[in-house]
Amino acid sequence: MAFLTPFLTRRGAGLLGTWRIWRDTGRLAGRTLVTACTPSAYNRATRDVVMKQIYFTAWQILPTFTLFAALLAYVLIQIVVTTAANYGLSEFALEVSVRMLVLEILPLLTALFVALRSSSAINTEVALMKIHGEIEALEDAGVDTLRLELMPRVIGGVVSVLALVTVSSALTLVLAYVAVYGPQLWSLPDFSRVMAKVFDAQIMLGLLLKTLAFGLAVTVIPVAEGLATPRKLFMAPVSVLRGMVRLFFVLMLIEMLSLAYKYI
Amino acid sequence: MKPVMQWLDDDAGRRALIAAHPESILVSPELPLRANLSVLDNIAMIPEYRENLAYDAAADRAWALLGRVGQTDIAFRRDPDLNHEQRFVAKLLRALVANPPVILVDRPGMLLPDLHYPPYLENLLARLEDLPNDCWILDYRWNAPLYPSR
Amino acid sequence: MERPPVPEPVKRPIVPPLVKNLELKIGLLLSFTLLLIAAFALYVLHARGAFEDTRSLVLIAENAEGINVGMPMTFSGFPIGKVKRLDLGAKGEVRIEMAIPERDARWLKQTSVFLLEKNLLGAAKIKAYSTDLGDAPLPDGETRALLTGDIAQEIPLLVERMKGILTNVQAMTAGESAINRTLGSVATVADRMAGEYGILEGVLGGPEQAMQVVGVLQKTNSLLAHLDGVSLKVDGILAKTDSQVFGPDGVMDQTRQSVAKVNAILGDARDSLRKVDVILANAQTASADVTRITGNVSAATADMARLRADVDDSLRKINHLINEINRKWPFARDVEIRTP
Repeated sequence: MAFLTPFLTRRGAGLLGTWRIWRDTGRLAGRTLVTACTPSAYNRATRDVVMKQIYFTAWQILPTFTLFAALLAYVLIQIVVTTAANYGLSEFALEVSVRMLVLEILPLLTALFVALRSSSAINTEVALMKIHGEIEALEDAGVDTLRLELMPRVIGGVVSVLALVTVSSALTLVLAYVAVYGPQLWSLPDFSRVMAKVFDAQIMLGLLLKTLAFGLAVTVIPVAEGLATPRKLFMAPVSVLRGMVRLFFVLMLIEMLSLAYKYI
Repeated sequence: MKPVMQWLDDDAGRRALIAAHPESILVSPELPLRANLSVLDNIAMIPEYRENLAYDAAADRAWALLGRVGQTDIAFRRDPDLNHEQRFVAKLLRALVANPPVILVDRPGMLLPDLHYPPYLENLLARLEDLPNDCWILDYRWNAPLYPSR
Repeated sequence: MERPPVPEPVKRPIVPPLVKNLELKIGLLLSFTLLLIAAFALYVLHARGAFEDTRSLVLIAENAEGINVGMPMTFSGFPIGKVKRLDLGAKGEVRIEMAIPERDARWLKQTSVFLLEKNLLGAAKIKAYSTDLGDAPLPDGETRALLTGDIAQEIPLLVERMKGILTNVQAMTAGESAINRTLGSVATVADRMAGEYGILEGVLGGPEQAMQVVGVLQKTNSLLAHLDGVSLKVDGILAKTDSQVFGPDGVMDQTRQSVAKVNAILGDARDSLRKVDVILANAQTASADVTRITGNVSAATADMARLRADVDDSLRKINHLINEINRKWPFARDVEIRTP
């Protein structure tokens, strides 16, 4: 029995820690959303920071990312179109490519891209701010760090994921049209029919919600993880590592849930 | 702004004193400047948030304060490029710009380790004499001999 | 420590912002994103026919298998409407409510026929056929039957029918079959007719019998010669002979009856051959590959083997096709088509 007690204590502490970080993440997401929806939270300074965040997470990577996404999308569409033609199922090629790319791959790809680029940076920065006491200093000086540092990052993340998904998806639809029908406009009614079949209100709303959830996840999780870092410098890499793993887990969970909702 | 000495006996007493004055703003070695902003922006940020000032107005106010203590040349430097005195000035002004009733200067010996700090502090605060805020200097009793007797 | 002189207040230098035209860029990005989203939403609404006047048409089908909401109805391969709603009618029939855009409604006439086509692979299709475009247009809210053309259901039926046909053909071509025997008899009769005593041999069944008849006639002739000199009796004898040959039970009468029988047999043979003709014509319609076999009676016996081989070949092809489909299609079923 004697060996069991410390073991259970350790397990229990670990479990509690895990639960606490998820709870904090949820709370942070809720508080951020409430703040983001409060007009009085925005003064010129907040707006400025929000804009800067959007600039760094969305505008800066927009051309490169769009180009990359377009290339990937074109290759995948070609594979689908060719394979479908081999099986005599060309009529489904467009629908399959659109479902696969616009509904699933592009949002996930965008989220992963933003996660790799911005979430890791945010996690590191917030963790270091926390370790150095900058957050405490700001709070002591009467600045709401949620408004100044955290909410702009979350908004930046959501907006950039939304913008990147929108732009790359729009481009992908154009590419899909060209890949399936060739560079002419006469097949637009056919294309419209497939679009009408794929995108009903539920799917559109689901796509929007999924994109927003991705945007929230790629920013709220690193921020929460950074805020939960103990004030010890050597904990910074651990914090980033944990944040990234949790982020990946949550992204996959969102994707799985959306797939399950759509197809099960 | 008149310096008021608060003599401390130990760390617990220091913490108790700080906790007893939540309305005060602390100038402490443990509360650094925001690392990715210049000194000017660090100071200007406070009225931007607390009073919803536009950046230009807030920056003007910060600039004026920097001018009063003769440190406008550090306005566009960031924390790693500052020496201890400059960093102290920046922290003090960041506290001051919020216009709190009391500013607590926590352990000046730690904030200004390379100086005979009591005269420096006196000098600095003399430039801000007309401001209505109180400035409490929290120092340990065993450092009292460092201060000039009045 | 000396107090440093208070410096003259310097005007705050305006540093260029970190990002030029930040507000413009972000505004551009946001408005572009929102514009894209809004435009796409509008486009999808348009594609789904939200801005279009439609008229409705109710199709009645036996079951709703393979039909789903949003499925297009085609006319000459062009979509002219789609399924708006599916529900079950009072008598358990499926009511399919179609929405036909106003501009496409002109293709549907009073006499239009609606067909549900289910394929082996891929989605079912609703097709509309209007044979007479000069007809009166179909009014709004009309109810029509939806006929089913299910290829997958047809295949086993087709195979069953093929089996039947092939059994018949096999029975006809077997050594002991009626048609063979008939043809054999016909051949025998024809051979005999070609013999020394011609048709008489054919009619009487052999040279001996024919010889006997000829002999009787010769004897009669000699009798006639012998009795040349006899006056009244001759008539009597002649009369007797007459009745023997031409009377109701006379030789000639029997000969006539035999000929009539041969005629009937030939008629039967012709009937049987006509049946083969019909069956082969059926076979022709049943499968495209079988059409290569003609229904020609004279070639029939020779072609039977080829027909059989060709049918086998097509069945092999169908089998291969199904195996191929099974291989590519993940839900394999044990489907094999064999010739009987």
